[in-house]
Amino acid sequence: MRLAFRDRDRVREVEVAPLAPGRFRVVLDGAPVEIGVEDLGGGRLRIHTPQGAVLAEVTAAGSARFVRVHGMDFVLEREVSARPRARGRGTHAKRGSGGLEAPMPGVVTRVLVQAGEAVRQGQPLVAIEAMKMEHVLRAPRDGKVRAVAARKGEMVAGGTALVELEETEGS
Amino acid sequence: MSPIRKVLIANRGEIACRIAATLREMGIAPVAVYSDADRGALHARIVDEAHGIGPAEPRASYLNAEALIAAAKQSGATAIHPGYGFLAENGDFAAAVEAAGLAFIGPTPEQIRTLGDKRAARALAARAKVPVVPGAEGADAATLAREAKKLGYPLIVKAALGGGGKGMRVVEREQDLREAIEAAQRIAASAFGDATVYLEKRLERPRHVEVQVLGDGKGDVIHLFERECSLQRRHQKVVEESPSPATGEALRERLAFAAVAIASATRYRGAGTVEFLVEPGGDFYFLEMNTRLQVEHPVTEMVTGVDLVRAQVAIAAEGALPLEQGDVVRRGHAIEARVYAEDAAANFLPQAGRALEVRWPRAPFVRVDRGIESGDEVPVHYDPILGKVVAFGTDRAAALVRLAAALDETLIHGVTTNLPFLRALVRAREVERGAFDVEWIEREFLAGFAALATAPAPEIALLAAALAEAVGAAAPARGAGAAAGPRPDDAFRGAGRWRLPGLG
Repeated sequence: MRLAFRDRDRVREVEVAPLAPGRFRVVLDGAPVEIGVEDLGGGRLRIHTPQGAVLAEVTAAGSARFVRVHGMDFVLEREVSARPRARGRGTHAKRGSGGLEAPMPGVVTRVLVQAGEAVRQGQPLVAIEAMKMEHVLRAPRDGKVRAVAARKGEMVAGGTALVELEETEGS
Repeated sequence: MSPIRKVLIANRGEIACRIAATLREMGIAPVAVYSDADRGALHARIVDEAHGIGPAEPRASYLNAEALIAAAKQSGATAIHPGYGFLAENGDFAAAVEAAGLAFIGPTPEQIRTLGDKRAARALAARAKVPVVPGAEGADAATLAREAKKLGYPLIVKAALGGGGKGMRVVEREQDLREAIEAAQRIAASAFGDATVYLEKRLERPRHVEVQVLGDGKGDVIHLFERECSLQRRHQKVVEESPSPATGEALRERLAFAAVAIASATRYRGAGTVEFLVEPGGDFYFLEMNTRLQVEHPVTEMVTGVDLVRAQVAIAAEGALPLEQGDVVRRGHAIEARVYAEDAAANFLPQAGRALEVRWPRAPFVRVDRGIESGDEVPVHYDPILGKVVAFGTDRAAALVRLAAALDETLIHGVTTNLPFLRALVRAREVERGAFDVEWIEREFLAGFAALATAPAPEIALLAAALAEAVGAAAPARGAGAAAGPRPDDAFRGAGRWRLPGLG
């Protein structure tokens, strides 16, 4: 089976082929290796690599995979469809070309621009507050506001599009 | 004074759990409160009695004095412990509690008001002959701007009624002052209910050292040595220790003397903390006095053996200090790391969600003050602290090694935490040497950490994720099970009414 995981802004592919119970041929970044796996239950795996055995703990949450190895934690996103650039979760969400998204879940405290308004790079657009921290979304470049989805007092999830800027022309 | 048999804890999370533990030990029944977002939260399910106090928004629940006092009355509690944050440093709340015939486990309303108003506190320190950080006040932004010119940049905008660094803004240049003042005013208004801000000169590379004090309310004040809290990000402490690695005996004594002088000047009642900024040369300035239990109180408890919550309750019940200065003896070293739901690699943005798998460390000489367990929700509405890991050692090096190992053993899956940040931090050479100041993390540590955190995951991590899919071994979201009904281990935890199907 061929699996793809998003690791922050990279997508990495792993091919896994069963050889025998508990044994797999794995191709990662082009190099094939033979790996042994013990399923210890509760998300724990003991992985036998040519370099030695490693205990890994994996928890699934939707498409997210929380992986713990060597006392380190990683969050990977399982990419299920072949469609490119599937929307990430929360703060890992990539910014669309003209869209500005909530970097964290919170409450919209200020909406400082209206649709049609011209904005300068760095100009504050929307403020969100969560856990007593205010975060101000600023215009990433000069442009014109196409749409404002943010409403004052509204609770938004991380990754929600709040302001859309017109595509820049000819620059 | 009458004995205290039942206490309402007007707080949530790890601190509510920690206070409940000492109350139980003292034979006092703890009463928990919970907002709609905290139905079934750990602090509400480890006690016999818990009361709903309103909607998720803090104003409607944990900051709702009326609802809290009504819950206390209804439960038959005779005292309220405010914990830290929320209403802990709100004089009006303390006054309302006392007016309702309940004991407030903390200072008097007047002490909270005086010391909570940072400007009044600075004046008080000056009268006690303790140096204060140069600063300026002003009723409006224009006055503050004029004062800022005289004070010079960089400076810090602070909430007059603030605490714990919330709402603080560093301003490097004059043109950024107005926006910083406005932002600080908004945060101050929403977090502390008062938009007043003031300015303080920003010292060069100071350390934050604070002294724990206890007062009987009649003028007797003792100290329990200092805590070093210079490891901060966004002006929020993240790792604290006692004793301070940068404080020799002479400076330690001067700081303690100054702290006791300030607390004595108000005939302070209960537990409090006098915070100082210490310059590299050893000059120190009074910063503020916090009139509550601090987040980092466990390090003091571990090196002195004094339970500060027990001392708070004893002072409230008996009006006397449970120990004398001569009884306070320091031994060994303790270091605490605060575990937060935040993405350290993305500007420490707070995170929320369900913590599917949680495993706190279990090791000799390690204390964990926990606020969540597996399957618990981390709501968006509150401070994102999940728990604290504290390690003790006969010396600093031993404590630090234990803390690093304990953080390695801590596992929280389902919500992004600062654990990778903490693990890297406690292993940094400057931290090992104790050579840091309040800006060191942001000035020197963060860039390296960000590079580390955003580097590609090692092959073994991808291998693990892929193999978990191949053998179908990824732990399913335990939280999903919790949403469908009570978890088996909740069954004996007392009334499960808030964990009925559909409500969990």
